[in-house]
Amino acid sequence: MRLQGRVAVVTGGAQGLGRAITLGMAHEGAKVVVADLQADKAESVAKEARSLGAEALAVEVNVASEPSVQRLAEETFKRFGAVDILVNDAGVYLRSPVVSKTEEDWDRTFNINLGGNFLCARAFVPAMRKQKSGRIISIASSIAHTGAKEFADYAASKAAIIGFVKALARELGPDGITVNAICPGSANTDMPRRHRSEEEVMARLRATPLGHVLEPEDIAGSVLFLASDAASYITGQAYNVNCGTVMI
Amino acid sequence: MSQVALISGGGGGIGGAVARRMARAAVTVVVADYDLDAAEKVCGEIVRAGGKAEAMSVDVTQAREVKALVTDVTQRLGHIDVLANIAGGSFYTKRIEEFSWAEWRQVIDVNLKGTFLMCREVAPLMQKHKCGRILNTASNYGVTGSALRAPYSAAKAGIIAFTRSLALELAPDGILVNTIAPGPTDTPRVMEKETPEARKQRWWSAIPLGRTGKPEDLAELFYFLTTPESAAITGQTFHCNGGLI
Repeated sequence: MRLQGRVAVVTGGAQGLGRAITLGMAHEGAKVVVADLQADKAESVAKEARSLGAEALAVEVNVASEPSVQRLAEETFKRFGAVDILVNDAGVYLRSPVVSKTEEDWDRTFNINLGGNFLCARAFVPAMRKQKSGRIISIASSIAHTGAKEFADYAASKAAIIGFVKALARELGPDGITVNAICPGSANTDMPRRHRSEEEVMARLRATPLGHVLEPEDIAGSVLFLASDAASYITGQAYNVNCGTVMI
Repeated sequence: MSQVALISGGGGGIGGAVARRMARAAVTVVVADYDLDAAEKVCGEIVRAGGKAEAMSVDVTQAREVKALVTDVTQRLGHIDVLANIAGGSFYTKRIEEFSWAEWRQVIDVNLKGTFLMCREVAPLMQKHKCGRILNTASNYGVTGSALRAPYSAAKAGIIAFTRSLALELAPDGILVNTIAPGPTDTPRVMEKETPEARKQRWWSAIPLGRTGKPEDLAELFYFLTTPESAAITGQTFHCNGGLI
């Protein structure tokens, strides 16, 4: 097991990509913290992780709130005494054209998608620095590269995550902490279904060069690799996992 | 049935590490290299460690030799599941006006044409089986450019675009094609030309992780891109450089 005994915190861990990442980490022997705004769903994923034999803790968190992220860190350290892996997956995906987008929506997208990365880094990096090791993996998006009509705030927030990851990688490299991003293409989760019909979602998911529907487990595979010892020399990168839809 | 990986440049630093990593995962490796002695040395290490490997000689710039190599491998082992194109090199560091046409052609041919010739021969075999992984080797210089390495930088940039094109071409057949772009890596060939101290001075402060790469760092990435975990990844460039770029 590649992550035996490591402590992994996954924000947005209660569903979709975050759930697959959490369960993948649990399967590889990590102790997992399922951090999500939806406490019931987080507890249910923690139960699934325990059924795989992992130690798991569910914590309700709003990643855009500094006190809430601080509580997440305190509960993590209280239960497990350390943090080795931080996966920033919590995010929102709000649809509206730029001209009618409200300032509240814009702020919400940035505070959660990008601000969550910042607040979680600030809460967990000091412990990683002390132990001279750590892995931070942020979930960006193919849309960071391509843009997407009516999702300008989402696209900008995900592109900003890539910039943040590259800067943080340079800042934390001397402490043996790697920082990378994964840019998934559209995956078979609830997220795209919030704005499109089932038929439209499936047609879009199948329209890839590989003709393979991108599943949350495909993303989890790359996150597990970046969290493992095998990726100890990789930092500051944004790896695309998208069935060949975007090559950049 | 054991998987078979054909590795060009398998006798070199990165190629040898990739061959050893694949063999550790019970893959039968064909270590192909211009330098047959180097290929045999790598094979010997693998076999002594309990793995399966065969050494073969090839000049990847020669279409006839590449065809003969691939025919030989398929006759002996039946199939090729992974093709890792690692043969290459920059060979020269000099100003553009000092490059002869022959030198330019040599660098472009070994790096880029060799990758094309190997893919041209192996892709049809993979298409028959409707699966396969092709891994091409670029460099950070293929993205940033490098003063005094114009043909090498051009060839490596060409490999990135070639990979994307081939990925689109072979996707309907379930074949994944990706590029690995190493940063400064401590291979024996590089270390012959530069003392560890000079290397440290040149690179370490520029690399956030504070060291140059080891062939084994790259080998892990090559291996990951042959596993089921990377089944949704094609046409991509994977930098592995300690954060240099």
